[in-house]
Amino acid sequence: MAPIVRVTNLDKYFGHLHVLKDISVDVQSREVVCLIGRSGSGKSTLLRCINFLEDPSHGSIEVDGIKVESGGKGKEHRQLIHDVRLKTGMVFQEFNLFPHMTVLENVIEGPVIVKGMDRKEAIAFAEENLESVGMLFKKDEYPLRLSGGQKQRVAIARALTMQPRVMLFDEPTSALDPELIGEVLTVMKKLAKDGMTMLVVTHEMGFAREVAGRVIVMSEGQLIEDSQPDELFKNPKDPRTKSLIDRYRTGEQ
Amino acid sequence: MVQTQKSQAELLFDAQQRKVRLFRTNVTISWVILLGLLIFIFSGPIEIDTEFIRKNAAFISAGIWQTLFISILSIILAILLALLAALGRLSTIPPIYALSTFYVSLLRGTPLFLQIFFFYLALPQLGIVLPAIWSGILPLGLNYGAYMSETFRAGLSSVSKGQREAATALGMTPGQTMRRIVLPQALRFAIPPMGNDFISMTKDSALVSATGFVHEIMWRATRVGRAQFNNLEALIVAAIFYWGMTLILTFFQSRLEAYLSKGDR
Repeated sequence: MAPIVRVTNLDKYFGHLHVLKDISVDVQSREVVCLIGRSGSGKSTLLRCINFLEDPSHGSIEVDGIKVESGGKGKEHRQLIHDVRLKTGMVFQEFNLFPHMTVLENVIEGPVIVKGMDRKEAIAFAEENLESVGMLFKKDEYPLRLSGGQKQRVAIARALTMQPRVMLFDEPTSALDPELIGEVLTVMKKLAKDGMTMLVVTHEMGFAREVAGRVIVMSEGQLIEDSQPDELFKNPKDPRTKSLIDRYRTGEQ
Repeated sequence: MVQTQKSQAELLFDAQQRKVRLFRTNVTISWVILLGLLIFIFSGPIEIDTEFIRKNAAFISAGIWQTLFISILSIILAILLALLAALGRLSTIPPIYALSTFYVSLLRGTPLFLQIFFFYLALPQLGIVLPAIWSGILPLGLNYGAYMSETFRAGLSSVSKGQREAATALGMTPGQTMRRIVLPQALRFAIPPMGNDFISMTKDSALVSATGFVHEIMWRATRVGRAQFNNLEALIVAAIFYWGMTLILTFFQSRLEAYLSKGDR
């Protein structure tokens, strides 16, 4: 089966800084892949290249059959990027809900404005997704009145309402108070169980171990390990992976 | 013994509230005394011609509409220019950035009074004769637009990069992101200072009277004042009208501000 996400020979430079070094990775449909690594290892940048929030310097990205080569220009290239963005939903560390809109307005904004979906239809669909993340009861509130965990759950519903094929999570629980992390992880677990393809940049080793089908370890812009979580956590091959895991173990106590 | 249990924090809060209330009461009393003093000075120690005021107050007050009309048209022009200048200021295209900063620098670096005279006296020399009211509205709009562009720029910068990224990730075009996500947030931020600018504009519009053809409050006051050697009375009347207008506008401004901040909580 063709992979749903295929990253081929991807390089990314920030000025002279080489942050992604010739990365190639495939993700199959319904797979949950966690990307771990120290900060500055390039894991967020890799994730952000997949929906072109960052422009890759070299290489190509393919999502659900739409292939975009880096360095393209013009209308056709922009259309391809747009199509890729419609196939991917993104959840940010800082939630980035629109503060001037209610929860429901946040969730229907994409379908109505970008897809031109009928408002009533969008509302019905949005309410369904808000229900599934347990946030329907706050649909008329403004984001400022929500806790961090609630905001992140709304952000997940907002991304889901665009009906993406792949969900990208960029450290979704890193900005949360410890007692609020659980509710977001629960929603993500449910999503994984429902068969959503997910790429998750995270520091939550427990989540990676329990939910991910694959864990990819990054260091200095390269993939240094890519294996099943049980295997990776029990017998890390690379000493850098071992030190990363050990650090989190001690951190958990 | 009846015990009304209040926590330390509540007691502290109550004490602070009492202090604030007392301060406000004293300020209000002082205001009334100052106002009384002002009225007393002009009714006893300084002799004023009340007969003149009675006769001419209506003539001067007829300028209120003209003043408001000029201010409203100028503020609309100023808002449009300020928005363009603010967007230009955030542009990464050198000529556009330069155009924006050049405009702001030029208009803020010269007196408003000079700008009004430039439109009224200097342009006709080049064969450009604008209707008098426009030689008032254009410089006011241009000048305030330059000042307000800073407010707009601050408003646009107050919208975090994450907001744009979230919109982009949803598939919005740059235009949609600007219209739906960035501008509404920037405007909410910019509306209170814009209200203040409008209030100062109603006062600065008095400068337009210098052209002699726009019959707003100041023009009318100086006209009857000079004609009958009652400048003191005429200016007092004009001052009262300006002050009254400012008070009313400030009232609406604070209501608007309260309303807008409510949406934030």
